[in-house]
Amino acid sequence: MRALRTTAILLAAGFAFAPMAFGQAARDNDQTLRAMRDEMARSKTRLELQISKSDKPVRPFYVEYRLLDLDVREVVGEFGALVSTNHNRNRSMSVNARVGDYKLDSSNFISDEGFRGFIGSTGTVGIDHDYDSLRQDLWIATDQAFKEAVETYSRKQAYLSSLARASDIDDFSRANPVQHIEPLVAPDWSNRNWEQEARDTSAALRAFPQIYEARVTYYLVYTTEYLLTSEGTEVRVNHSFAAIEAGMNSLADDGMPINHYYSTYAARPGELPSEDAVRKSLNVAGTELMAMRAAPPAPDYTGPVLFESRAAAALIAQVLSPSLGGARPPLAFQPVMEQMMSSLGARSEWSGKVEARVLPLSVTLVDDPAAKDYKGTQLVGGYTIDEEGVPAEKVTVVQDGKLKELLMSRRPGPDFEKSNGHGRSGFLADSKPTMSNLFFTSSEAVSKDELKKKFLDACTAEKLEFCLVVREMDNPSLSLMHQDDFSELLASFGGNASTDRLPLVVYKLYPKDGREELVRGARITGFSPRTLRNITGIGNDDYVYNYMQSQVIGVSGTALGAFGTAQSGLPATVVAPSLFFEEVEFRGARGEPKRLPLLPEPPMSAKVSEGN
Amino acid sequence: MTSSFSISTRAHVRTATRFVIAATLGILPVAVVKAGPPDAPKASPLIPTMKAELDRSLKALSTQDPPAYFIGYTLTDTQRATVSGSNGALLSSDEGRNRWLEVTVRTGSYELDNTHKVDGRQPPNGGPGTNAPVDDDGDVLRRVLWLETDKQYRAAAEALIKVKTGNEVKVQTEEGRAPDFSRDKPQTSIGPWVSFTLDRKPWEEKTRAYTKYFRESQAVINSIVTFTAQAQNAIQVTSEGTQLQFGQIRYRLELFIQGKAGDGMDIERYYNFDWVNPSDAPDDKAVYAAAAQLRKEMEGLVVAPLNDPSVGPALLTGRAAAVFFHEVFGHRAEGHRQKDVNEGQTFAKMVGEPILPDFISVIDDTTMRKLGKDDLLGYYQFDDEGVKAQKVMLVDHGVLKNFEMSRSPLADFPVSNGHGRRQLGATPVSRQGNLIVESSKTMTNAQLRAKLIELVKQQGKPYGLLIDDIAGGFTFTGRGQPQAFQVQPLVVYKVFADGRPDELVRGVDIVGTPLAALTKIVATGDTPEVFNGYCGAESGSVPVSAAAPALLTSELEVQKKQSSTDRPPILPPPAHDTAKAGGLQ
Repeated sequence: MRALRTTAILLAAGFAFAPMAFGQAARDNDQTLRAMRDEMARSKTRLELQISKSDKPVRPFYVEYRLLDLDVREVVGEFGALVSTNHNRNRSMSVNARVGDYKLDSSNFISDEGFRGFIGSTGTVGIDHDYDSLRQDLWIATDQAFKEAVETYSRKQAYLSSLARASDIDDFSRANPVQHIEPLVAPDWSNRNWEQEARDTSAALRAFPQIYEARVTYYLVYTTEYLLTSEGTEVRVNHSFAAIEAGMNSLADDGMPINHYYSTYAARPGELPSEDAVRKSLNVAGTELMAMRAAPPAPDYTGPVLFESRAAAALIAQVLSPSLGGARPPLAFQPVMEQMMSSLGARSEWSGKVEARVLPLSVTLVDDPAAKDYKGTQLVGGYTIDEEGVPAEKVTVVQDGKLKELLMSRRPGPDFEKSNGHGRSGFLADSKPTMSNLFFTSSEAVSKDELKKKFLDACTAEKLEFCLVVREMDNPSLSLMHQDDFSELLASFGGNASTDRLPLVVYKLYPKDGREELVRGARITGFSPRTLRNITGIGNDDYVYNYMQSQVIGVSGTALGAFGTAQSGLPATVVAPSLFFEEVEFRGARGEPKRLPLLPEPPMSAKVSEGN
Repeated sequence: MTSSFSISTRAHVRTATRFVIAATLGILPVAVVKAGPPDAPKASPLIPTMKAELDRSLKALSTQDPPAYFIGYTLTDTQRATVSGSNGALLSSDEGRNRWLEVTVRTGSYELDNTHKVDGRQPPNGGPGTNAPVDDDGDVLRRVLWLETDKQYRAAAEALIKVKTGNEVKVQTEEGRAPDFSRDKPQTSIGPWVSFTLDRKPWEEKTRAYTKYFRESQAVINSIVTFTAQAQNAIQVTSEGTQLQFGQIRYRLELFIQGKAGDGMDIERYYNFDWVNPSDAPDDKAVYAAAAQLRKEMEGLVVAPLNDPSVGPALLTGRAAAVFFHEVFGHRAEGHRQKDVNEGQTFAKMVGEPILPDFISVIDDTTMRKLGKDDLLGYYQFDDEGVKAQKVMLVDHGVLKNFEMSRSPLADFPVSNGHGRRQLGATPVSRQGNLIVESSKTMTNAQLRAKLIELVKQQGKPYGLLIDDIAGGFTFTGRGQPQAFQVQPLVVYKVFADGRPDELVRGVDIVGTPLAALTKIVATGDTPEVFNGYCGAESGSVPVSAAAPALLTSELEVQKKQSSTDRPPILPPPAHDTAKAGGLQ
């Protein structure tokens, strides 16, 4: 009876495996796993190199095969017209081999060697689930990965011997082999007409003739990932997510660039908000952008600041994400690389602080990969098993203000050794400890109204004419539509990319009459994880902030990692309430003024023209 | 059959423009008898929109300081389908469409404008352009045009200021005194809008089958086969009154295999088919014949001995000769190089002088669609500056006559001859099109071979070289920058004076001035061979062809190529592994 019911459900969902295999999903006809197993068996036992330094041949002590099947649709609309629509399917492969042992191996080392050869250990391979072709691809890749590991190991040993102090942290922690095979699924794009929706929703911005550029991108993804290791781990997992992301810009009359964005994420395409809902949200963003355009530039300010929950959650994501990970950063052959990484905030500020107070005593911070929704709102950061084949664990990072545990991958760090299943990455990149669904709660949370009253009282007590309220934080990956502008922004940080924060929708609040006045271009300075130790007031109005952790090299794992996009990121969620700080420093207004266009904008009718 | 001189790597990695031909909407060459006038091709509704924005812009920008004196808009609509396979499986199969907008604004005057090179350096431009919607929405297009025109004007204004300052402090060369922009007649022509409908399934099956065939050879480590179909429509509107609409469809099939010799040297073989008419698609018989040839060459090359340095006679087969001419001669005939203080300016002073043997003539004819049975990739109706394609006599019986010219004039060549070309997003410069080498001193292949051996004996050498395939421009991997002038022989045989069978060798590098080898041409073959490829140079990758008969030169110097220190794969390929699959050892 039970077996029949299982079959019915699985068949109804369109899974592809032999009908007699119900109850034995691990043994379906997937040639992919068979090819990976067979090539791994060969590589494990017969791959070896005779090198001059040793009398015994060198063999890999760990080999790992990863495949990513990606099925992605991207549709872009601009002011009601379709810019592009693409549907791509491909399979990427990444093969890693390690030489040495768990204590000291060939990983964790950035040598100065560039890309070697183009028969490499990563690349795209056949999407057919064809046994012979995949074995051919794995064969070449394993050969290349092994040779690279041998060479890197030797360089690493040479580098370490030149250091005064040897490290006592192992390179690779042990983990139990895991078997986790999910049934294959077919993507469900739903029967919504995405091209028409991209047109119809982006058309909402035609109502704002002073918006210069506005693009709405729909990004729908289904993936299946495979992991097979020489330790005996076999994993096949499915992921999906869907995103609508929009950016828009204009110039204020004084030439300051102003930008805004909209983003929404869901686990599946069919769960994205309706066309009407998106139009409404874009309308709000467009209206806010126009208000910013007319608003005065933000003043310099030091004083009490209220971050409404939506902004607070985003702030926490930016400020804390680099500090949550406990893995040791890789050794760099060039110290200049380390410097660059730490100026972007890649170093964890919580490392070495276990049992120390890092947040207010009333606060608990929990990362829960198994959470699916919160008070009816879907969370996107969840997963079952990480990129290294370790089952995802719920981690209490901070308990009553004290640091308890950090998020770990299989790369040991100064404070912790074992993985807790947080080795995440996108697009087969190297795993880094990354949050999933992060919950910020306080045992002393007060109502939103009470929090606002506390805030206004503090403002009055300091004899300030106004205080600042942040309603929303910026995500420059979405609000800046040109790479040039993004590079300019990075340059403007100077060495403070890790402590400068970018609020987007900011109001002056006058305690005397409760009046609110929008200002533009504000920048927060000196806001580090330490600032979060002393939060004066915490609300109970939790906001679910779904966003993308950037996987772009050089940015992921740093303070800028919170500015990901659907195309370049890993889904994550922060659930947090409004926060009130006694003292935050603002420096306004950011950005260099640009010259206004020499001609006025050409007319654009509010409705899309005929014949489209 | 055509061979190529440039390789595009795995299709899914590279984004070079590809061509596909679809005759579905094209006007058939055979006259159709029917009553009444034929339907005129429909002009895009975007043309009046573009003209309106252009007029508005020029009116305002021509009164600025510095003034704009020229504005040009180019909108390129590309429909592309790609099917790619590797090692017996499908890598990807997709189809897409996009539009790219390029806006050119020139400030100053025809005589001196923002593009004037100062000290050999190209002034910065306002960027490569931007995406435009694929929907025909005039309002949205105008918005995009407005912002892009403003951006390009500012860049052009800034550049002109730098040019004027630079002119005051730097010495002007003679070529620097030529005008910056030629006066060419505006063109109006509305051609049919082209597109294709394609069933990708048969090509998916083929790419699987062809790469599976390669996998059967133990010498082939990796194989990639890519089929591309592309329809490209361009609209050009300029302030001089040019209004053009024209389209092209092309198809391409590329075969690519990799292997490694015992000492670690990477060996690659490549072959491509290019066609315009779907009925000219290569059938399986033709493809397997080419594939068999590539496999045979690979199997020979991975065990072939390394070349020894030598100087002596060499015979280049037609396709090798065509690549050779393209790289060694063709690039030097591109007009913009004559202006550049940094370039050799080899030919600038030699117009009217003999530079090749008097039995050799070279033309560049972009009006030519085919040569014999082969479609030519360098065919187009209008160049990327809106100038009509034409036949250009570059070398007439050995005497240098002309250059390939864009609208950047030379002192003695004041107008364009339709060679202003670019990859989407780059600024056009003079580029080759269809380079055709003609000879009046021809021999049959047998006679050429006999003459080679005669020369070898005359010079007292043990052997001469037979070069059957050459890579030019950029390497197969796309590693490093595309370099014009670089020639790399790929399939080379030693031809012995004593009648021994020819010996395949590997690792041959040409040294010295390859141009000198051209002056030492003794005779040519009687049948031109065509190669179609993508040439990479200053204005990006553009489709070109070159055609030449076999060439016999009395002196070519070669050396041994640097080998990589990589070892070949440790384990045999899985399909050829005689030992048990593993685990029981």
